[in-house]
Amino acid sequence: MSENKNSRVRDSDANDTWTVYGQTLHSRLLLGTALYPSPAVMAAAIEASGAEVITVSLRRQAPASGGGNNLWDMIRQLGKQLLPNTAGCRNAREAIALAHMSRELFATDWIKLEVIGDDYNLQPDPFELLKAAEQLRRDGFAVFPYCTDDLVLCQRLVDVGCEVLMPWGAPIGTGLGLLNPYALATLQHRLPEVPKIIDAGLGRPSHACQAMEAGATAVLLNTAVAQAAQPVSMAEGFKLAVAAGRAGFCSGAISARPTANPSTPVTGTPFWHQQ
Amino acid sequence: MRIGIAGAGLCGRLLAWQLARQGHSVTLFDRDSGAGEQSAGLIAAAMLAPYSESLRAGNKVFQLGCRALRQWQGLLSLLCHDSGVKVELRHSGSIAVAHRADALELDDMSRRLQALPAVDLQRPYWLSASELRAAEPELDNFERGLYLPGEGCLDNRALFAALGQAIDKAGGRWRRQQQVETVGAGFIRSGGASHRFDYVFDCRGFGAGTDLRELRGVRGELLWVRATEVKLSRPVRLMHPRYQIYIAPKPDHFYVVGATEIESESLAPITVRSALELQSALYTLHTGFAEAEIVQASSQCRPAFEDNLPRIYQAEGLMRVNGLYRHGYLLGPTLVARALALFENRAVDPGNGSLEEAIKVIPA
Repeated sequence: MSENKNSRVRDSDANDTWTVYGQTLHSRLLLGTALYPSPAVMAAAIEASGAEVITVSLRRQAPASGGGNNLWDMIRQLGKQLLPNTAGCRNAREAIALAHMSRELFATDWIKLEVIGDDYNLQPDPFELLKAAEQLRRDGFAVFPYCTDDLVLCQRLVDVGCEVLMPWGAPIGTGLGLLNPYALATLQHRLPEVPKIIDAGLGRPSHACQAMEAGATAVLLNTAVAQAAQPVSMAEGFKLAVAAGRAGFCSGAISARPTANPSTPVTGTPFWHQQ
Repeated sequence: MRIGIAGAGLCGRLLAWQLARQGHSVTLFDRDSGAGEQSAGLIAAAMLAPYSESLRAGNKVFQLGCRALRQWQGLLSLLCHDSGVKVELRHSGSIAVAHRADALELDDMSRRLQALPAVDLQRPYWLSASELRAAEPELDNFERGLYLPGEGCLDNRALFAALGQAIDKAGGRWRRQQQVETVGAGFIRSGGASHRFDYVFDCRGFGAGTDLRELRGVRGELLWVRATEVKLSRPVRLMHPRYQIYIAPKPDHFYVVGATEIESESLAPITVRSALELQSALYTLHTGFAEAEIVQASSQCRPAFEDNLPRIYQAEGLMRVNGLYRHGYLLGPTLVARALALFENRAVDPGNGSLEEAIKVIPA
């Protein structure tokens, strides 16, 4: 493939990197490791997605009583940057304790901080989240906070040292897509320097494309891929959609116009055809 | 032939019974007292649910699973002949329901089931409120249900006992309370002593992890309750965005509710969170479960390989039969038939060659 003459696009792709907590990444798609039909399908989907960062959850795995299993070894063997999460935690204290356990178990100070405020739609609890984020930054963690798209909350998370934000697109697992493009545009406008990973609620590749086109730095998915009828080809679909959206954002889209503006002159067209 | 079998769970028992009745001299190593107390297959709900399981397991498990009902009918009638014990097999379908807020989960299930390949079983269909009431009069707080023809469950406690008796009657020998340390070609090591056989089957499930590094455990937790106020004749599956909980009726007002599925090899007792989830499912399905007695709360690890499909590892004088994951009753008869055919150098069921390939046979 390297001798391919038409490499201009790929070169620009290769240079289109982003950086979070000092680590440079090429892929703008992050993938979760839960809910796949089998570990084999999970591994194939991650490969197809091109993701460099994958999330892992250990809340229910009973790590204290010898939990985990060789699925964790399989995940480690994929050679990806692991982003352990605190899924299932209900307050700052639980999340902080689990973050410390994760750091030991997975040997990384990256932590996707989830503190759930509502059991039914798994909406983040902004107050406990901020408390936990502040403490974990002090404890030396690279905190990726899963948050709502509220500007003030996001600003406060940045104030306590978060170098990245993970606003939701919609509640976890709903597949509704971007419910509030206005809020995301506001974040983009007011916090332009902070990478924003749209986390949760995306169901279709077009949702990911839309998020990227609106200026998101990256997107994180799990259910949309893992629960698709064909997870591996869905992972591929999202990979392409993220690339398409990113290209759209970088390439200066034309403005929408209320009237047609034909690209072929109509000078020679008989006037009665223009009615 | 002198045959040693390590593990007296579902697979070990089925194999021991079949081999003993063929006239082989069979010795069965059991870490329990003979009742199968720690077997995943005894604790399980023993569902035969090809439609429901297809949602995650895919087409091959679905197609193999569709044969399970007929296979069990044959096995149980033979077992009744051998042991004198009649094991109950319910097969009048199962019903999936969802609470109003989760209605989409049920629609999604229906949509995905319609896309399955054609099989002998009737297709799933919707039940209106009145049809649901006619089928299960006590499911009166649901407006509709998805009927899954041909699904059912069997009485696994009776099955384990009946298989035990049939093995005895066929002349099989038990080595009870024998923790097996390792199994190799022609030998089983237990209690520091090596026992030699002409042929050895390793059916230890999750317990075979020391000899099968590819194996992983997937923790499951479930409850056995006795509810005299509840009358459900069919298994019911409660669809929810995050859990899929089934309730399987057993003889004498017993119900099994399960099961959690956690990527963990912890054998610790059931957690409060899991118990709450399972009990909420029971109570919201039928308020009569409020007064049910919790007879047993169990946790166990299902043995699984990375593709979540069963496998056979074969060497001279040795066969490891494992990886039934959550499909012990659905795929167990197929797996055991395959193992027996390999043992006898027989081709299996040529008409279903492609399906049989769902069970990988790997040189050990």
